[in-house]
Amino acid sequence: MIEPLRISFEVACPPDHAFETWTERASAWWPPQHTMSHQPGAEIVFEPRPGGRIFERTPQGEEFEWGEIVRWDPPRGLSYRWHIATDPANATEVEIVFREMPGSTTRIEIEHGGWDRLGEIGQAWRDANRAGWDGVLPPYAEAARS
Amino acid sequence: MKAKRRIADPFDALGNQYRRDIVELLARKPHSVQEIADQLPISRPAVSRHLSVLNRAGLVSDEQVGARRLYRLDEPGAEAARRYLAQVWGNVGVRFKLFAENTRPRKRSRGPRELTALRTAGPRSSRGS
Repeated sequence: MIEPLRISFEVACPPDHAFETWTERASAWWPPQHTMSHQPGAEIVFEPRPGGRIFERTPQGEEFEWGEIVRWDPPRGLSYRWHIATDPANATEVEIVFREMPGSTTRIEIEHGGWDRLGEIGQAWRDANRAGWDGVLPPYAEAARS
Repeated sequence: MKAKRRIADPFDALGNQYRRDIVELLARKPHSVQEIADQLPISRPAVSRHLSVLNRAGLVSDEQVGARRLYRLDEPGAEAARRYLAQVWGNVGVRFKLFAENTRPRKRSRGPRELTALRTAGPRSSRGS
């Protein structure tokens, strides 16, 4: 089994602000190079409910699906199926916990798993990603094939 | 690959722009320290220090090829994607932290405007009472 990717870090703000910043204001801080359109001014939307869509909308109104909300539990956390730049059947799973810490601080714990399923269909995933992650993953995928 | 001396947090490892640049270079092909130093505005010793952090975070491995030591992001397929996403999460985390710590909750920032609205509405209601 491929271990989930686990990342955690502390942010000097309370969990409700952290949760709101993550889910309602991602357009302001999400790295533009990691969007699908690479367009400045793209809006990132988390529909606030289980089953809600996560998507990117360009200023021209074009939409790109990123994933689907599985658990919606503000301000404690959320989880989503993540299929940015790939088919929804190839989704990986992201869980984010916003843990309240002393001193108005939040510990953010991100777990990104589901890689094994990706392994079985890795070829299709890499091909799909040629369109989305141009510049970084494609050369890597070529190296992996050679 | 040598045994990892101490595990470094991938988030910390990728919280540095030069280390993210190095990961991006290695994603294209394996590089020697000199080849990395040639492409970034930092010295060879600095590149070596960054590689050491990336190695402890499990992101980069090294291998002796003839006279050269090459650094690479290894393991294909899903593992490659996972490592790449580690870099993405590093970028995401750094930007999120900066933004969240330097903005105020909307509910609180909405407060003063609501108070202003109440004050504006105030005289009418006070006249009425």
